[in-house]
Amino acid sequence: MKITFRRSYLIFILSALITLLVIFFAVTDQIQARATPKENKPSGSPSTNWSQVNDLFAKGAHMIAPSSFSAATLPPPEQDPCLHCHITGEDKGLWTPLVRWIFFGTAGLIFVFGIYRSSSVWVNRVPWKPLTRRTTEWVDSRYEISDPLSTFLSKPVPKFAQRWWYCLGGITAFLFIVQGITGIMLAFYYKPTPETAYSSIQFIETQVRFGSSIRMIHHWAANGMIIMCIGHMLRVFIMGAYKNPREFNWVSGMLLLLLTLGFGLTGYLLPWDQRAYWATTVATEIAGSIPVIGDLALVFARVGWDVAAQTLNRFYALHILVLPIATLGFMGAHFLMVRRVGIAKPL
Amino acid sequence: MPDIETDSSEESVPFYPDHVGKEAKVVIGFTGLVLLIGLAGIFFSVGLGEPADPLNTPAHVKPEWYFLALYQLLKYISKTAGAVLPVIAVIVLTIWPFIDRKPDQSSKNYKRRAILVAITMLVLIIMTIWGEVS
Repeated sequence: MKITFRRSYLIFILSALITLLVIFFAVTDQIQARATPKENKPSGSPSTNWSQVNDLFAKGAHMIAPSSFSAATLPPPEQDPCLHCHITGEDKGLWTPLVRWIFFGTAGLIFVFGIYRSSSVWVNRVPWKPLTRRTTEWVDSRYEISDPLSTFLSKPVPKFAQRWWYCLGGITAFLFIVQGITGIMLAFYYKPTPETAYSSIQFIETQVRFGSSIRMIHHWAANGMIIMCIGHMLRVFIMGAYKNPREFNWVSGMLLLLLTLGFGLTGYLLPWDQRAYWATTVATEIAGSIPVIGDLALVFARVGWDVAAQTLNRFYALHILVLPIATLGFMGAHFLMVRRVGIAKPL
Repeated sequence: MPDIETDSSEESVPFYPDHVGKEAKVVIGFTGLVLLIGLAGIFFSVGLGEPADPLNTPAHVKPEWYFLALYQLLKYISKTAGAVLPVIAVIVLTIWPFIDRKPDQSSKNYKRRAILVAITMLVLIIMTIWGEVS
């Protein structure tokens, strides 16, 4: 079976993504630029005081963004000016070097590629082959992945499985990826101790570039993930898709739902505000009232008898290490089983 | 094993590129939705309450919305029952395929299970709303 590569799909996906990104960055940059109060307007005497400028340069003012070129707004010398301006987004020229590199870099690559292609045809005296085909042939001649890949890709999908209610599980997986990406972004700034957790969230909300956006996405995608998970399970339950031979698909799906709820439970504590603290206290109390193993469960969850610093640390470790690894494992198993057995045919 | 055989070509489409292309559209749509939420995040905030204070219990303590139904139930039954019930429910749900093993004969089974699901979800939603307003 030959793989038919439809270039239009790739071009459509890429252009849509790029357009969305450009619009997103353009709009948000405008909003941020307008929201910043204009406090650095030139004021006072029109003539330049050169001795003051020399003083500023001696202090290292040329390392700071030009907009803050005044003695009053200078950060203390022990603060790293670059970190300051990059994180707070005061450096408006942040995108200029990037755009310059992309523009001239692309032009340079096209030039180099043209030279290489012309000289290669001239030296080898054979017609030029597209780079994509060269690459696939190069890889295939070594690792022979073309055949298994095409069997994998050409496995037919039944037409009934293109109805919208079959994509709920896929959306859950997509939201899990979103959670992974935004979670990594948040973990760059979050500090899991009772003294610093709250203020680090404040830092994310007010200082970090797009920090409040990232936190908003993480928050709502978490809720969406639970809703999609439940929707997917209801669909499977109503259609009886858990029956022979798909019992273990259902069992792994159940475990994935529990892991998702575990994500919610552990993630809720991390902001370390009153709501988080007392919600966790209540939730772990419920676990503590299970007969026989209740006390053990309570002490395991709280690392002691109270919700305290150790609890925060444990929930953080569970949230960013244990649960994601377990979820990835069960998700892989879930997908492989769905793939192997196929989608249940409705009556 | 029942219905594991692949379908004939009239009733199915190739995984790649037909199905992947369709999935890509869904992914692009949801990516746009996620970016929209991010855009909203510039104007609004998820919010951050008062810093945690172990010595000061606030008047209304509530868990996340997906535990709210259970939390509401706990107000009216004993704590032990409230802790054991969800555990039993989860265990029964997990081994449900081994309890309900009879293959479906007609779409009547769908209807029965749909009614069961509707009643359960209705109870859960009412409990959640009740927990939210109380």
